[in-house]
Amino acid sequence: MSIWLTYLGMAAVTYAARAIPLLVMRNNPPPWLALWLRYVPAAVFTALVVPALVTTSGAAGRVLTLGPAVLAGIIGALVAWRTSNAILTVICGMVSFWIIRMVMGG
Amino acid sequence: MQAETTGRWQAIRSGFVATMIVWPGVAPFGMVYAVSALAAGLSFAETLGMSLIVFAGASQFTAVGLFAAGANPISIIAATAIINARHLLLAASTASYIRQSPGWLRAVVAFQLTDETYAVGVQQFEKTGGDAWFQFGANLSLYFIWALSTVIGSLLGALIPDPAGLGLDLIFPLTFIAFLMPMVRDRVNRSVALLAAGISVAAALWLPGSWYVLLAGIIGSAFGAWFAGVTPKTTPKEQL
Repeated sequence: MSIWLTYLGMAAVTYAARAIPLLVMRNNPPPWLALWLRYVPAAVFTALVVPALVTTSGAAGRVLTLGPAVLAGIIGALVAWRTSNAILTVICGMVSFWIIRMVMGG
Repeated sequence: MQAETTGRWQAIRSGFVATMIVWPGVAPFGMVYAVSALAAGLSFAETLGMSLIVFAGASQFTAVGLFAAGANPISIIAATAIINARHLLLAASTASYIRQSPGWLRAVVAFQLTDETYAVGVQQFEKTGGDAWFQFGANLSLYFIWALSTVIGSLLGALIPDPAGLGLDLIFPLTFIAFLMPMVRDRVNRSVALLAAGISVAAALWLPGSWYVLLAGIIGSAFGAWFAGVTPKTTPKEQL
């Protein structure tokens, strides 16, 4: 039973983080906040991308790992820059990752 | 009224369909989550229950590890709060697009807001303006695939290879690269991305959980606002 209560606790703290800004920000934000929020997507997307490419998580926490994933990410970025096509970006990135890993003998 | 209902359905549907682009990155991890949860001793109902009730991938993986280690509920809930704190920023950003929709609808949208559906939503809203129903459809799409892949993972069990071993954990950042690149065509956004890259890597190495997303997100965007304020408007030619 305690596992389901744990779930409710987990859901509550998660929902709070997701809901509070959405429920509080009803009115026109002041100009400084509107300007600030305009640049959140680029900052958040970058933060979700770059550490995922240049670090790996292990028993000792996250460590810097400059390997095939970095090169695959760069190739993906070039494809995305030229084509703005997500599917093509993922395919080119994954294929180059596998090739680089094979060549490097990983 | 009729037209309004039709518009709603169309928005939900296009949100649902647009989010299918992130399914390939999400589904393998839903399956692996299920395998590791069952291995940690959770029942099928408890495994699926966590996907349906909590619905937050990274924290579910962490919780499974903590359940397996016999951690107490309070520490599991605390870890979940730390990992999911980044949603504050995603929700604030989403709110700036859909704040005019009814409160109950925003409350519903909040339940299923994730990194992936936030990205799909922002992409759309930058082009056509905010639409809470589109966001709802996007969220529903991810909820559906997360639950479905949890069930499939539970059924297939150990037959599923480790997606990280295959490098499939790269699909997530690659998908987000595709979202990011069209966004950094102007100088301000490009500076924001560069700064956020530095901060997020440093913070990812030194801080626990996903604080690095929150930190890089807040500081990077604040810098962007300041930079946009001090930079004279660029001409279209300079934007590339």
